[in-house]
Amino acid sequence: MLDKFDIQIREAKEHAVIETTGYLNDALGEQLSKKAQELIQNGCTQLVINLEKTTLINSIGISILIEIIEALSEREGTLNFCGLSATQERTFRMMALAKYAGIFPDEESAIANL
Amino acid sequence: MLKHELMVKLSGFNTMKDSSMPTSGDSLQAHKAPNTAEQTMERLIFSLSELEHLGQTLISGHSNFNHSSKTYLRITLGTLQVTRGAILRYHPTRQNLEVVASSPDEVFSPITVEPSEIEILLQHPFIENENLPECLEQFFTRAGKFVETIGIRLWVPLKIQDEFLGMIGLGSFLGRETLEAWEMELLTTLAHQISIAIAYSQMVEGIQSEKFRLFMLAESAPQICQLLQPEAAAEQVVHQAVSLLDANAGALMLTYPERQELEMHFTFPETLVEGPTGDSSSNGLIIPYGEEAPVSSETTSADMLKSVVKEGLPGHCPPKSDTLFGGKNLMAVPIPGRDGDILGILVVGDKEERGGSITPFTDEDVILLDSFAKQAGVAIENAHLHQEALEARQLQAEMEEARKIQENLIPDRLPDIPGYEVAGHYEPRGPVGGDYYDCIALPTGHWGLTIADVSGKGMQAALLMATLRAGLISELSRGKGVAAEDSVKPNDTRMPKQVGQDVSALYAELTDMALTLNSLLYASGTEEKYATFFYSHLNPDTDVLTTLNAGHNPPLLIKKDGTYKWLGEEVGGIPLGMFPNDMVPNIAEYEAENVILTSGDVVVYYTDGVTETVNIEDEYYEEDRLVEDSKACKDSDAEGIREYLHEAVMGFQGAADQFDDLTLLILRKQ
Repeated sequence: MLDKFDIQIREAKEHAVIETTGYLNDALGEQLSKKAQELIQNGCTQLVINLEKTTLINSIGISILIEIIEALSEREGTLNFCGLSATQERTFRMMALAKYAGIFPDEESAIANL
Repeated sequence: MLKHELMVKLSGFNTMKDSSMPTSGDSLQAHKAPNTAEQTMERLIFSLSELEHLGQTLISGHSNFNHSSKTYLRITLGTLQVTRGAILRYHPTRQNLEVVASSPDEVFSPITVEPSEIEILLQHPFIENENLPECLEQFFTRAGKFVETIGIRLWVPLKIQDEFLGMIGLGSFLGRETLEAWEMELLTTLAHQISIAIAYSQMVEGIQSEKFRLFMLAESAPQICQLLQPEAAAEQVVHQAVSLLDANAGALMLTYPERQELEMHFTFPETLVEGPTGDSSSNGLIIPYGEEAPVSSETTSADMLKSVVKEGLPGHCPPKSDTLFGGKNLMAVPIPGRDGDILGILVVGDKEERGGSITPFTDEDVILLDSFAKQAGVAIENAHLHQEALEARQLQAEMEEARKIQENLIPDRLPDIPGYEVAGHYEPRGPVGGDYYDCIALPTGHWGLTIADVSGKGMQAALLMATLRAGLISELSRGKGVAAEDSVKPNDTRMPKQVGQDVSALYAELTDMALTLNSLLYASGTEEKYATFFYSHLNPDTDVLTTLNAGHNPPLLIKKDGTYKWLGEEVGGIPLGMFPNDMVPNIAEYEAENVILTSGDVVVYYTDGVTETVNIEDEYYEEDRLVEDSKACKDSDAEGIREYLHEAVMGFQGAADQFDDLTLLILRKQ
């Protein structure tokens, strides 16, 4: 799973879900950032990032997620994460990502809480 | 409130929709540059308020400069009434300038900047296109497309003391040829603020990164130590190390001191290392570390890994020194065990930084990975100890099962044979073996007495013996070993020789049965798995005991007068299951023979657990003692003989440990 590298976008009327697959490092993070920025530029400010297939994140991946949170907060948008492992959730809380973005166990609840 | 009032006052900007200054050149083209003293004053006041805004932006928590840079550019352009410009951020490891914000907003390739050019840039507070320093011409040539697209006319290096952080480029001064002196001073202040913002951003990024690493280090220890499967522990150790070091690759190799080799156990990505067969699988990659490294001007990654194991110290390997790890920049640390031995090495490769460039591992990285490797050592040892405990439990359970199988093979009680007494004894000593004895009633009213010993221990031995027993019962039930009985009558006075002639058919059947059992066992096991087997057919009417030996210890016949004879000693064949049937004639064919038992005769069947019993002086019990002890008790009944011999053997053993089962079968003619 970690050797693979992919981003899937599922857009709905009011929101969009970005699902990543693989190691969230600079390469995947930049792609994620680009996709998120495109969505935000196009007026989609309700985002869910599904990290179920991303079990490994480094500090650059974290900084990119922070950037997306900042970009969304400027547009008064909302970001929810889902599919996090227990360690990822603790990391997100410790790195204060959870202060500005919601964390939900699955995509359905993450969308419902946008 | 202050800003809003100023905005209203500033007639040149009161059409702005938000509190920020315009970014579009077009919107500003409609306005004339302020040229009255009052307007200048108002712009200055506005600029001061924008500086406040900029300061707020700096500390607002928007730590990422690349994201905030657009705001900085907007404020700078608006304050100075400049319609075009850009902010470029310098990346020391990549040695280039990245355009992080531009007006008009476009994407540009990074611009390479040489260290010598940075020295010159740092010496100039402003650089005008029309007045370029000579030694910067190449830089501006490289930046040509960017300069042309944006229309840059004035450059301001961004720095804090002597640290070069980037540049601001400005163009199109809205109705002016140049900026006025006070505007240049304002630009200097703005540039300084932006420099602080970059430095602050770098510092925050650094703190965030360190915070992440320390958290991951603290978090990873309990996490990996909970993993009880060695494979899972190896995977997590590599993944955590990769994440912790911002690396793009990682590997775990374990040491095998007995063969002085390092063996690859896990890599990330899976295709990191080319396997020994040239495929992409890293499994099985082995690096011997016992041999001396060849003298070479260039250290290979394999040399570095060997050195880490032998010296017990971290090591580095520069990129592209070889292709074993895909030419990656490597860092490796030893994984210490509890006893100070080196369990293996942890390797990480290609530390990345924002933007994707690869940066060298630092001394702090070495300390971090070294700390993590200590935790990894505990986790790996825990997992292996757990695995060993599981295997031991599994083995114990298997032994229990084998013991049950074994015990089921041994008869609970032996039958009553008219005119005879029989007694048996089976005593497990140590790991479950494959001893077996039995006394089987045949359809003719005769008896089959057998004793056997399977090589090896445990479940395999028990199953092989079960197979032998099943085969034997099957053969006997099919009528094997019961022929020629009609010719033997009760109270027959014929001499043994004559009887032997009559039982020739029985001989043939017994040897045929032995071959069948040999074939069965040969097909059931390996060459190392075989059974010694002794079978005797007793006709209680004639007292003829016909025997066949397949490699077993010859039973002892003690005559009433104290003379003795080893049965099947001279006509013994090879153990069952050792060779295929077609090879048996070339080695030792199975043959039968017979004896006639008379009153008071005793036959002692036994396994090698009896004669190979060792005492504390490392002496074997051996056959001689068996003869003497058997003579001593021959006048007892079968049960008494069994008891006597058992006590004799146990008395000989004393406090010495034994590892082979003790099995006895006594047949006594009343």
